[in-house]
Amino acid sequence: MTSFAISTHGLTHRYGTKVALKPLNLDVATGEIFGLLGHNGAGKTTTVSLLTTLLRPTGGTATVAGHDIVADARGARSKIGYLPENVQFYDDLTLAENLRFFAKLSGIPKPDARIAEVLGFLDFEGHDHERVGAFSKGMRQRVGIAQAILHRPPVLFLDEPTSGLDPEGVRTLRQSVVRLNAEWGTTIFMNTHLLAEVTRTCTSIGIVRQGELVHHDSLAATLGEYPTEQALESAYFDTAGSAA
Amino acid sequence: MGVVARHELLASRRNRAPQLLVGMFVGMVAVSSFIGWLTQTTVSGIYGQVLADGLTTQPNPFVDVVPLFFARNTVIYVVMIGTLMAAALGVQSALRDRKATVADLVLTRPVPVRALLAGRMIGLGALLAVVIAVSSVISWVSISVITGSALGVDGSLRLAAFGLLTWLLLLGFAALGVLGGLYVTRETSALLAPFVTWAVIAFVLPQLGTAARPVSLLNPVASVPQTSGVFHAVSYVTVPLSITEHFKTTSSAILEGSSGGFPLASLAAVAAFTAVLVVAVVVTSPSRLSGEAGE
Repeated sequence: MTSFAISTHGLTHRYGTKVALKPLNLDVATGEIFGLLGHNGAGKTTTVSLLTTLLRPTGGTATVAGHDIVADARGARSKIGYLPENVQFYDDLTLAENLRFFAKLSGIPKPDARIAEVLGFLDFEGHDHERVGAFSKGMRQRVGIAQAILHRPPVLFLDEPTSGLDPEGVRTLRQSVVRLNAEWGTTIFMNTHLLAEVTRTCTSIGIVRQGELVHHDSLAATLGEYPTEQALESAYFDTAGSAA
Repeated sequence: MGVVARHELLASRRNRAPQLLVGMFVGMVAVSSFIGWLTQTTVSGIYGQVLADGLTTQPNPFVDVVPLFFARNTVIYVVMIGTLMAAALGVQSALRDRKATVADLVLTRPVPVRALLAGRMIGLGALLAVVIAVSSVISWVSISVITGSALGVDGSLRLAAFGLLTWLLLLGFAALGVLGGLYVTRETSALLAPFVTWAVIAFVLPQLGTAARPVSLLNPVASVPQTSGVFHAVSYVTVPLSITEHFKTTSSAILEGSSGGFPLASLAAVAAFTAVLVVAVVVTSPSRLSGEAGE
């Protein structure tokens, strides 16, 4: 029997009268790297905000690592890591001070050893006492990953993680995601509008269009159906529709 | 809560808010003491001249002045400047998380939102306590230097009580600032909202109260107590809300004593003001911390 790290049943969200997410039925198996593709405004961030408990659903249910996101929101939060798009930190504080704060909020009483371990895992040592305000976009993104995995969450949510990164930053982040999945067994839910990102990183793929999940399959099956990059791109645009 | 409170102190220290506050309070205490010393020197000088000329047989008016007289101007500075600074500190604290996307990171941690907000208020309270403690020590030293002898136990306790009252008032204004930062979308408006509220509390309401008793403007004619009519109705509403006036009344009783008994109602008004605002901060909805995250 497959265990699901993420499971939603009719999960819905409205902003006033506008439907941001139509009833979503989605299961992401434990250990997967799931890529949710879609144009800007398709409902990707709304989906992640619901699953990370930042938004309260207006309908349906969902569980993350076995915890209901409404009835047991704190339980769900204890099992997730989250990297929002364009992540920011307390610029006046050092890297270590920022991470220490988030570690303690995650219930790690003496976090320094864990911080060192995580920074080592991300090949990001030697910056502990530098102020985050002076960091480049790529460095901030690595800090973002570090704060998200400090408590070794079984499920990690990444919202447009490569947005604004240079090619080197994209490659570093991609390697970190794959290693996290392979070495720590972390289930990863990644939002992106970049097709290439999904094909290089993910094990399963979903496409959301105007708030509705219109495709969900394994990457292998999807590539079996569309073996060339051009065929896959055409299929993506056919499925996801034109960008707004 | 302790984690958030310590973080609040660290983050505030890094952007130099406490240093600025300490500098400002020490400046206020120093100016207050200087004005007190100048007044004493000037009046005593004139008194000496008048006495030498045989124009008076009255005693020197400064002979019976209590040492804490020299701190009385601090009361006005706390109302005029301290409260504004406390509100700005509160706004800054709330906006720090909202301006970045840090709030989203914090809200996905397994900590109740009320504990986060209570921790923030505890941090701000601790910061204000440190600032007021430092300025109280400076005030104690200044008064002791001016009067030529160390402030006694009674005077020291009164000074400590005044510090506590000041902390209570400033915590209320800090909470007002936090609410501005949480509820108002734009940064400029977030600063403006508590400042407007401050202006209403510090100026408009007391003015309305005074205008409602026009005879009180004609000093030294004592105002006639009103028990009915428009003036009475206006006073009935504005007086309890004139928090800074209550602060001044209570401060005066603490520093210089009160002939008509301690103004417990005024103290209760200041305490209620702070309690209501702190509770309002703690029960704020999580959505106000980050705003709804739409695409």
